[in-house]
Amino acid sequence: MTTLIKLEILRTLRNRRYLFFTVLYPALMYVFFINAYGSGNQAGGLPVKTYFMVSMATFGAVGAVLTGNAQRISLERKSGWTRQLRLTALPGRAYTVGKIAATAVTTLPAILVVFAAGAVQGVSLSVPQWIGLAAALWLGSFVFAALGVALGYAAAPDAVQPIVMITYMAMALLGGTWFPVSGSLETFARFNPVFLYNKLATFTRPGHSLDLAAVAGLAAFFAVFVAGAAVLYRRDARRA
Amino acid sequence: MVTEVAAFRGVGKSYGRVRAVDGLDLVLRPGETVALLGPNGAGKSTSLDLLLGLREPDQGSVTLFGGTPRAAIADGRVGAMLQSGGLMTDVKVRELVELACKVHPRGRSVTGVLTDAGITEIAERRVDKLSGGQEQRVRFALAIAGDSDLIVLDEPTTGMDVSVRQAFWASMRAQADSGRTVLFATHYLEEADSIADRVLVLHRGRLIADGSSAEIKARAGARRIAFELHDADLPADVRFDEAVLRSLPGVQALDVTARVPGVRTVRIRTADADAGVAGIYRAGLYPRGLEVTGVGLEQAFLTITGELDRRADAEKESVR
Repeated sequence: MTTLIKLEILRTLRNRRYLFFTVLYPALMYVFFINAYGSGNQAGGLPVKTYFMVSMATFGAVGAVLTGNAQRISLERKSGWTRQLRLTALPGRAYTVGKIAATAVTTLPAILVVFAAGAVQGVSLSVPQWIGLAAALWLGSFVFAALGVALGYAAAPDAVQPIVMITYMAMALLGGTWFPVSGSLETFARFNPVFLYNKLATFTRPGHSLDLAAVAGLAAFFAVFVAGAAVLYRRDARRA
Repeated sequence: MVTEVAAFRGVGKSYGRVRAVDGLDLVLRPGETVALLGPNGAGKSTSLDLLLGLREPDQGSVTLFGGTPRAAIADGRVGAMLQSGGLMTDVKVRELVELACKVHPRGRSVTGVLTDAGITEIAERRVDKLSGGQEQRVRFALAIAGDSDLIVLDEPTTGMDVSVRQAFWASMRAQADSGRTVLFATHYLEEADSIADRVLVLHRGRLIADGSSAEIKARAGARRIAFELHDADLPADVRFDEAVLRSLPGVQALDVTARVPGVRTVRIRTADADAGVAGIYRAGLYPRGLEVTGVGLEQAFLTITGELDRRADAEKESVR
């Protein structure tokens, strides 16, 4: 199983286009957004530079794991590679574990590159806060990796692309990625995993600790996505 | 001691209203090289899917080495190449073969597998940059990546040109010669004829023939007699009568054409060519340009499936 995981990681790192969009694109968006908003202003009770550093890191991470998993799985189901793998001694879960591992390897640099851009722009956090924030955002990305796997088993490649884009954009739009969510929108946003994901960063504010409600919400979403992925995987296996 | 490699017992599988496999009973024994023949839609791929546990039968049971297909695969007893087996992209051929060798419980050396599949020269190429025939060879390499007891190949030479196909057959024979049981589906009859020691013919989901290639040919009417009859050769008191030809021993099909006045071309398919030829002379006929030829497996195959189709159509007519 480790052989498959290693090879999955290797081939992901070889795919330059995918790497550009996952690792560099969020950092470019970050620079764009802080300039558009005016870097001295506030957003959601935070300096713009800090707010968008988190939201662009999560934006990049969610995009990487959603498209990476959903599209690849869907394509490889169509090509028959998943069938071929079922004729090896590998357990069925090895394939999805490999996929998730490969995307997880790319989300960490995506997060770190945005953080580096933030640090250059003058975002100042303590060392434990930097490390804690990176760890929280990296771990949170696994929730969306599970969603990506579920979507990959849900639809054929030509349908998966729009499904992923709509899901991704809707979650980002209402999750505080491009503007802080407040007022009545916030009531609904609590059922949006991206909103909860962004909330993982609140512990870096003075006087705040880790938002346990957000952690619990994400855990629930994770359980739902994993269960959905398992059901869809079995359906796919029956159809061969 | 289990002496069956694989067994289908009363296996049925439908897709909606289409009966893909219909009451299949079949046992594969160790060391056999078996060809699975049938026109498109005969149920070949479905049968192989059932054998490999990729699909579950609606009725009956499929066992591999006395257990479930999954257990046999997990034990590394089966290597398989699928018709629709996609390959991993963004990796080199060697990396993919390495993966297959490592995950196989009885994996072989990567170099050996590359050599046996004839892909040593393309080992450093990216999998997504290969031609159709090269891809087939890589798939074959995945099937022989371990020391499996049974090798299953679905349409292995599709997309290969003639010279490559010949080389591929040699690789297949090498697998069979090393004592493995080889089962392959094909629609190239030459492939079945030259490699298999047992031929199975599937038609509309049923097994309609099971035997050596020679037996199948014999069943279809082994030989063809062709000659010309010139009116000028007939004795003055004899007139040509097709019934004479039809009553020859063993005749299965008769075709008489007269393109040139006074000259008839006769083609007979017969189960007993020797008696047929003797009968022609006994009837006082003088055949010219007499030829007796064996029919190929292709002809035999068309004959067997064609007869069944006609019978099925006739039944439909009578029901109406």
